[in-house]
Amino acid sequence: MPRSVTRVLTAVVLVIVVVLFAFPLYYMVATSLKPRAELFAAVPTLVPQAPTLRNYAEVLSDKNGSTLLINSVIAGVSATVLALIVAFAICYPITRLPVSRRVRSFVLNWSLSLRFLPPIAVVIPYFALIRALGLYNQLPALILVYTIFNLPLSIWMLKGFLEEIPLEIEEAAQTDGATRWQAFRSVLLPLSRTGILAAAIILFAFDWAEFLFAFILTATPQAMTFPVGVQGLVTQFDIIYNDMAAGGVIAILIPLALMIGARRYVMTGLTFGVIREK
Amino acid sequence: MSVEDLTANTGGLAFGARLRTTWSARSGQERLGLRLLLPVFGLVVVIATIPFILAVYTALTSDSGELVGLRNFERALANPRLVEAFKETLIYAAIVLPTEILLGLGLALLVHRTVRSVAIRALIYVAAMIPIVIPQVAVGVVFRLVYASDYGVLNLVLGKSGHDQILWLSVPSLAMFSVATVDIWQWTPFVYLIMFAGLQTVSQESVEAAQVDGASSWAQFRHIELNYLRPLLLLVLFFRIADVLRVFDHVYVLTGGGPGATTQFLSLYLYDVAFKFSDLGQASALAVVVMAAMTFFYTVISRFLPAERR
Repeated sequence: MPRSVTRVLTAVVLVIVVVLFAFPLYYMVATSLKPRAELFAAVPTLVPQAPTLRNYAEVLSDKNGSTLLINSVIAGVSATVLALIVAFAICYPITRLPVSRRVRSFVLNWSLSLRFLPPIAVVIPYFALIRALGLYNQLPALILVYTIFNLPLSIWMLKGFLEEIPLEIEEAAQTDGATRWQAFRSVLLPLSRTGILAAAIILFAFDWAEFLFAFILTATPQAMTFPVGVQGLVTQFDIIYNDMAAGGVIAILIPLALMIGARRYVMTGLTFGVIREK
Repeated sequence: MSVEDLTANTGGLAFGARLRTTWSARSGQERLGLRLLLPVFGLVVVIATIPFILAVYTALTSDSGELVGLRNFERALANPRLVEAFKETLIYAAIVLPTEILLGLGLALLVHRTVRSVAIRALIYVAAMIPIVIPQVAVGVVFRLVYASDYGVLNLVLGKSGHDQILWLSVPSLAMFSVATVDIWQWTPFVYLIMFAGLQTVSQESVEAAQVDGASSWAQFRHIELNYLRPLLLLVLFFRIADVLRVFDHVYVLTGGGPGATTQFLSLYLYDVAFKFSDLGQASALAVVVMAAMTFFYTVISRFLPAERR
């Protein structure tokens, strides 16, 4: 086949694939911008005729959306910070100190094995425990569960980033008279800043997107997160499509913006550090 | 200052520093390592193990706290709906996994071999990330709008071309197809990104040598590229199997497990037993079985992973 034909064919295939993937997203955004009346047009329109942001205002104010957003942010930020602190405490010894290989690989393997547990199997016993502790429908319960569930990812990501920082730099600081703590504070921590930030972004996006735990462990807007609210817009008896679409768009925006910002590290995060973008 | 600068400047010094670390200092450091690691890691293990112990306890006792032996396990495992849920999960996996892998691999090869422009490659990279980072619930919303009976895009197109509406989400034979396409939509790009990353590591020399020898595209894939991709294919399988077993959000939003139980996969079934029928005894027994099975499955599958070889 001549080169030009191949090129045209490739372009055609890629355009078809891109349209298939992009169109559903486009239709959601378009629906979210339609006024209520346009929703009931005999033949639904593909492009909003009179775009409006009213649906967003409605989801955010009338339907408690902003309360749920704040809950999501609080739960996500707290769980991210906690997971990173715990992961750092675990990763520091296994990457910076001569801990035996068996201990090291046990820690890593065990935490990876958590990734294999379906959350539903874990949440059934947690549900009883959390109710017994009086934490049902409280954000701290979610924060605790999110921290544990994202710990494997935090450990593996931080481990990857810390391994890239040569041991010798800290050792050099220590031979120059710094204590181990000083070397950690003034050498290792600043050097791992990028890695910590990347891990934080990805962890937060995961916490943000989490649905099952929040769905089971919360009951009212006091502790519900945004995805639970969006689910409520979908399964209610009479779906209002444009509110539902607006909720969907809001749910997408934050992780999308964060992940595009941290795009070099997204695949690293999703594959527990196996794929590295250089 | 970036990491690279610092390593370049301290390379020589570091070598000397490393030589000075004597054996006794080393074992002291190892003790320090364990002292730092054990309290935190121990606590994490305890917190993560609590659900398992609790589930075993709940499964073995009745609501009033008396021991009931293995009765809950018997009820859970003999329930025909469990078999049904298992079967539906297998069908879902059998549709979704091969499609995603073949499609993702095919697209990766296509872009790798024909798209040379760095800008277009970067654009595809970001575009492929979009479905992956979207919350599953929002993916459910997206596809509600595709499959809905009155307002959905598909029925809109069917209507315009003079066909009858199709109830994509409430006809038993179609619901499985519909929720599976959502999975394929969301996760084919994930396979693509991993495969594409893998193809970038293929040795250009051997590819060129093969081309000089007149090897076909297929031979080039089969004998060269596939060798580089094999560990990554296993990795994809690992993550995708783990994900298929936990599928919940988008199915719950789209069909709620129905119609009937045609899309009631394992996670949805466990949810129903625990929270719809409030049968915590049976649900805990199921949770114990699932956790034990997954741990075993993990031990087997992790031996083939391209991770940690030290």
